[in-house]
Amino acid sequence: MTTTIEVTGLTRRFGNVTALDNVSFTVEENGIYGLLGRNGAGKTTLMQLLTAQDFATDGDIRIFGQSPVENASVLQNVSFIKESQKYPDDFQVKHVLKSAPWFFKNWDADFAAELVEDFRLPVDRRIKKLSRGQLSSVGVIVGLASRAPLTFFDEPYLGLDAVARQLFYDRLIEDYAEHPRTVILSTHLIDEVSNLLEHVIVLDAGRIIIDQPAEELRGSATNLVGQRSAVEEFVKSREVLHRQSIGGIASVTVASLAADERREAQAAGIELTPISLQQLIVRKTNTTDKEFEQSA
Amino acid sequence: MTTTTIRPMNVAKGGEFQRIWSVVRLHVVNRMALFGVPLMILGFIFAVNFVIWWTLKSSLSTSDFADASEGMQYSGASTFIFVYMMVVAVQAINLTFPFAQGYSVTRRDFYLGSVLTFVMLSAAWALLISVLGEIEQATGGWYVGGSMFNAIYFGDGGFLQRLYITFLLFSFFFFVGAATAAVYVKWRTNGMLVFFGALVLVLLAAVLWITFGAHWMAVGAWFVEMGVVGVVTWTLVPTIISGIVGFFILRRATPRN
Amino acid sequence: MDDSRPIFLQIAEQIENDIISGLLPEEGQVPSTNEFASFYRINPATAGKGVALLVDSRILYKKRGIGMFVAEGARTRIVEQRRTQFRNDYIQPLVDEADKLGITREQLADMIRKEGVE
Repeated sequence: MTTTIEVTGLTRRFGNVTALDNVSFTVEENGIYGLLGRNGAGKTTLMQLLTAQDFATDGDIRIFGQSPVENASVLQNVSFIKESQKYPDDFQVKHVLKSAPWFFKNWDADFAAELVEDFRLPVDRRIKKLSRGQLSSVGVIVGLASRAPLTFFDEPYLGLDAVARQLFYDRLIEDYAEHPRTVILSTHLIDEVSNLLEHVIVLDAGRIIIDQPAEELRGSATNLVGQRSAVEEFVKSREVLHRQSIGGIASVTVASLAADERREAQAAGIELTPISLQQLIVRKTNTTDKEFEQSA
Repeated sequence: MTTTTIRPMNVAKGGEFQRIWSVVRLHVVNRMALFGVPLMILGFIFAVNFVIWWTLKSSLSTSDFADASEGMQYSGASTFIFVYMMVVAVQAINLTFPFAQGYSVTRRDFYLGSVLTFVMLSAAWALLISVLGEIEQATGGWYVGGSMFNAIYFGDGGFLQRLYITFLLFSFFFFVGAATAAVYVKWRTNGMLVFFGALVLVLLAAVLWITFGAHWMAVGAWFVEMGVVGVVTWTLVPTIISGIVGFFILRRATPRN
Repeated sequence: MDDSRPIFLQIAEQIENDIISGLLPEEGQVPSTNEFASFYRINPATAGKGVALLVDSRILYKKRGIGMFVAEGARTRIVEQRRTQFRNDYIQPLVDEADKLGITREQLADMIRKEGVE
C-alpha cells in the first residue's frame, strides 16, 4: 500500500489564531476519505495547505512523497476546487470546461459533458450569475472529470437539492469504481456520505479528534435510554461520551457494548439504540445536532 | 511506511513550457472580454469621432479645420485601451490567480505565463494601433482629416517608432497593474493603503524637491531633451521593477476567500 | 443500511437473502463489486469486503476475467447456517423467556401453531 498524503506536526497560525494545531495523519492511496468537522474547525485551511495554496507555519507535508509547495510534478496530479473558489470576471461555465483539460491530464471531456447534462448546468451562463447550487456543480464537475490522482471536494453539495446531491454521490461511486483515486470529501452532511467513506478524519478546533476507518467507527458507540437511576447505575463504571436527561429519563452514549452487556442493559429496562456517525461526531465535538447542522 | 510510487498511468507529465503556455491560454480563454469588448468600444469611439470629423470638415473653413485637426492630436481617444489593459492585468492577478490555484498551477508557472501573456498582448495591441495609425496617415485621416491613432503621445516618427512607444506603454500599464494587484492579493486593503500612501509621499517629496529646489526648468528641459522616445524608454525602469517585485510578492501570496 | 452493524456484513447478508429467495440462482453470475457499490451507494471497498466474505465462505466463487458466480449448493448451506442462527437468536431466548413465565413446551408449541392462523 502506498501513501498519498503524509502530514507531520502541521501547524498554521493566522496572527494569534491557531487554525491547525500540530496535526499529523496519513492518507493511503485510492480511498474515499471523509474530512469532517464543524465550520472553522480547520478543514479548508488543511486542504489549502495540502494543495500548497497556503503556507504552513510549522510541520511537514508530503504529497506523493514530496513537498507540494511550488512543486508542479505534485500539483499536476491534484484537483481542489474549493467551496469559495474565485473565478475570473465574466467567466462563463464553458470557459471552465474549455480550460480545465489544459491543466488536468486525465480530464475526460465526454464525462464532463455528461455531468453538465446531468446537473442541467447552463454552459453559456456567467459564473457570477449562477445559483449557489449551480456553482457547486461546477466544482463537482471539475473535481470528477479531472480524475486527478488526489481529488478534494470541499462542501460539494452546498445549495444542491437532494436529487442533485444523490446524483453527485452516484457519479462519484461509479467513476471512483472505474478509476480508483484518492478522494477527500470535506463535508458536514455526515449522514449522507457516511456509507461512502472508507476512513474518517474529524477536525475540531484545529486538532484531529478522530482518525479511524469508517467501519470501526460504525457501531463504536451505543445510546442508552431509560430511567435515569437505571441508566446511571449501568454506566457507572463506563466511559461516557455524552449525557443528556429530561426529567427522570436519561440518554447516555457509551462505547459499544458486548452481547452480554447488551442483554444486561436490556434486562435493566434500558433501551439500546445505535448512533449514526454524525451523532457520534456531534457528541465528540460537544455540540448539539442543531448547532452542527447550522455551522456550515 | 512505504515510500510513494505513483502508478504510471495516473501520473500527469507536462513539460515546463507546456505548463506556462497553459496559463497563457487560460488568460486569453475569454476572448470576448479580452478582445471583443475593447474592440467594440474602440469601434464605437471611432464611429462617433468619424461623425464629428465629417461634420467639422463639412462645416468649417479650411484654416479653422486645420486648427481643429491639431487639437485632435491631444484627444487621445484610443488611450482608454491602456487603462482597459491595466484592469485586465489587475484582474489577472486578483481573480485568475486564485482560479489557477484551483487548477493546481504553481505560483511560478502562473507568473511566468502571465508575463508572457502581458508581453504578447502588448505586442498585439501595439501592432494594431500602429497599423491603424499608419492607415490613418495614408488616408489623410480616414478621408475626413480625423486623428485618433496619431495622438501626440505616440510620437511622430513613423511606424516602427510608434510600435516601440505603444509596446512599452502597454507593457508599463500591464506590469504596474499586475504588481499593484499582487500587493492587494498578498496584503489586502492594508497593503493598498500603505502602497498608495507611500506612492503619494514619494510623488509629493519629488514635487516639493523640484519646487523648492527650483528644478522645474531642469525637469522640463529633461523631457524636451529626452523626447517622447526617451521618456517612454525610461518607463522600462518602473515596468521591469514591477515585473520583478510582482513575482516575489506573488510567490508568497495566498488567495483568500 | 442500519447504523449498528458494519456495512460489509449487511451487504453480505443482503446477497445471501437474494440467493435464498432465488433472485441470484446457483451457478448464476452476480453483479460486480462496483455494481453493488453503486446500487447500495456505498464505498466500493466496503462492497468488496462484503463480497470477499462470501467468497471466503464459498458461497460465491470467482471465474477469472469473467466475474463472480453463486456456488453450487450455496443456497442449502446458507439456509442451514441461518437455521442454526435462528435457533440461537430466536428459539433460545424464546424458550428461556417461556421458562421464566412458566409456559410449558406444549403450551409454547400450541401458541406457535396458533400464531398467524387467524
